Amino acid sequence: MKEKLKQISEYEWMLPKEGKMNVSGLIIGNKAIIDGMEDDMIGQIVNVTQMPGIIEPVIALPDAHFGYGLPMGSVAAFDAEKGVISAGLCGFDINCGINSIRTNLTAEEVVEKMDELISALFDAIPCGVGSKGKLRLDDKQLDEVMVKGAKWAVENGYGVKEDLESLEEKGMMEGADTSKVSPLAKKRGKPQLGTLGAGNHFLEIQKVADIYDEEFAKKLGIVKKDQVLIMLHCGSRGFGHQVATDYLKIQEEAVKKYHIEIPDRQLACAPVDSKEGQDYFAAMKCAVNYSFTNRIVMTHWIREVFEKVFEKTWQEMDMHTVYGICHNVVKLEEHVIDGKKKKVYVHRKGATRAFPDIPVLVAGSMGTSSYICKGTETAMQKTFGSSCHGAGRAMSRHGALKQFRGEKIQSELAAKGITAKATHPKSLAEEAPLAYKDVEDVIDSVDKSGISPKVVKVEPIGVCKG
Amino acid sequence: MEEGKKGKYKFIDELKSDVLFEVYGKDLKELFENAAEALFSVICQLDKVKPKEAEEFEMKGENLEGTFWNWLSGLIAIVDTEQKFYSKFEIEEVDETHVRAKLWGESIRPEIGETVVKSITNYRFSVEKKGKSYKATISLDI
Repeated sequence: MKEKLKQISEYEWMLPKEGKMNVSGLIIGNKAIIDGMEDDMIGQIVNVTQMPGIIEPVIALPDAHFGYGLPMGSVAAFDAEKGVISAGLCGFDINCGINSIRTNLTAEEVVEKMDELISALFDAIPCGVGSKGKLRLDDKQLDEVMVKGAKWAVENGYGVKEDLESLEEKGMMEGADTSKVSPLAKKRGKPQLGTLGAGNHFLEIQKVADIYDEEFAKKLGIVKKDQVLIMLHCGSRGFGHQVATDYLKIQEEAVKKYHIEIPDRQLACAPVDSKEGQDYFAAMKCAVNYSFTNRIVMTHWIREVFEKVFEKTWQEMDMHTVYGICHNVVKLEEHVIDGKKKKVYVHRKGATRAFPDIPVLVAGSMGTSSYICKGTETAMQKTFGSSCHGAGRAMSRHGALKQFRGEKIQSELAAKGITAKATHPKSLAEEAPLAYKDVEDVIDSVDKSGISPKVVKVEPIGVCKG
Repeated sequence: MEEGKKGKYKFIDELKSDVLFEVYGKDLKELFENAAEALFSVICQLDKVKPKEAEEFEMKGENLEGTFWNWLSGLIAIVDTEQKFYSKFEIEEVDETHVRAKLWGESIRPEIGETVVKSITNYRFSVEKKGKSYKATISLDI
């Protein structure tokens, strides 16, 4: 499959339209990224090019790896009249995403209290499988969270108005309909608001290692090397998983009902104007809003922990949200297609919005650098305003568990000056840095291709994992 | 997560972000029991979960594949709704469209958790009957 790729520039590779493909594919990546890409992953891109109403091209970003139906790290846009909306393409962790919070503390100040800080964060932020939040929501409150998103958090004393200004969609997608969410999803969601979860979700204390675009960094309140930032990566928890699971079944039936030809049953979808399509869209927005709220509630607790450990108010420490973004989401957006502005349903799976001059947050693997980049007009023209979301896995979790030992990973990280704590050592092994692609190749690709030039590089100094 | 349990289930190291495994059973009862055990060996440290309390759990489906899917999907959800880990699964009744079981476990202790399973997926999902015995292939999004 890889032999079919045609290099069109140093960082762009086309998968030409042929056979049943309705459109071509586009892969963003330097040579090392392309060399490391699996044939199966490219096969998944080919499958999506065959879907009805798909708009040219289907994109694999440099962090793309084989995923459920569509690779993690890809983008597919569909015509807003003739296309489909797909629960399969959005994936299971709806609005899994990242918030970045700044401080005016230096790495030196924070490292001094790192053990105390990590322990206190671990106590304040419920982590791990089935972790229960400290919030006790009733049905009405959960409905409000689904509709209002992070605005609910602010109205209830978690976070501040300024946080909303720094979130994608201002922390609330319009059009969420709670009646489209199953009672089981609601039951799963109720106890989990304000929890981190497990797997690749984390809370990381970082220091600024380099600044490439001082002007843009300054706008984000990032002004000097060694300044400490906090990165929070988590999603919509069991609530979003259940919404996805429910609608995959509903849309599998829709595929049969509307006689949609799809090459893989994992690509369950429904016509954009169908009940099955729009119901999913309205339910997905509930999960998107739940996740925005989840991250702001935890931001509030992170601020409280810092206040206690450093004996200053969070305002004195300038702990504002730098930005917050979604990874797995479907959006109705306007893009220029064949020279004309057109509404399209953009499915970003393991991908970040990269609109011009909007921050793009890219998480590296545990123990390696993460980056803040900025979106560009080039991204609007080439990738439906999208960029990568992380380093991208290079090894299965099972493979990582066989190869690495959590305790050893912990001591290796400690040798690099990184304090890591997890609910149990295995989750450190699963997320071992070597289980991921080299984030530097991923960033080189999005930077040099012009879709999201790098602004700030950060390095981890402390990690909490579920 | 274990390598598997001989004759009961086997993990296949193939998926980058997910988990793939095969489950075997000499009859439907064993297939459903073994699948539940394999699933919970991904979610938690199975051998550390004490079978302190039991509860009834029931699922239906249109056919064997559907019932088996709903069984596993329901077990993933019940971790969140009951806030429990389970380690012992007694199938009381099972046929192609219905399963009733007693689940034994205890309240979640995060220190014996393993990973969050987001969902069972359609990737290579199958339930096959081979002579009198069964084999199922399951992938989990984690």
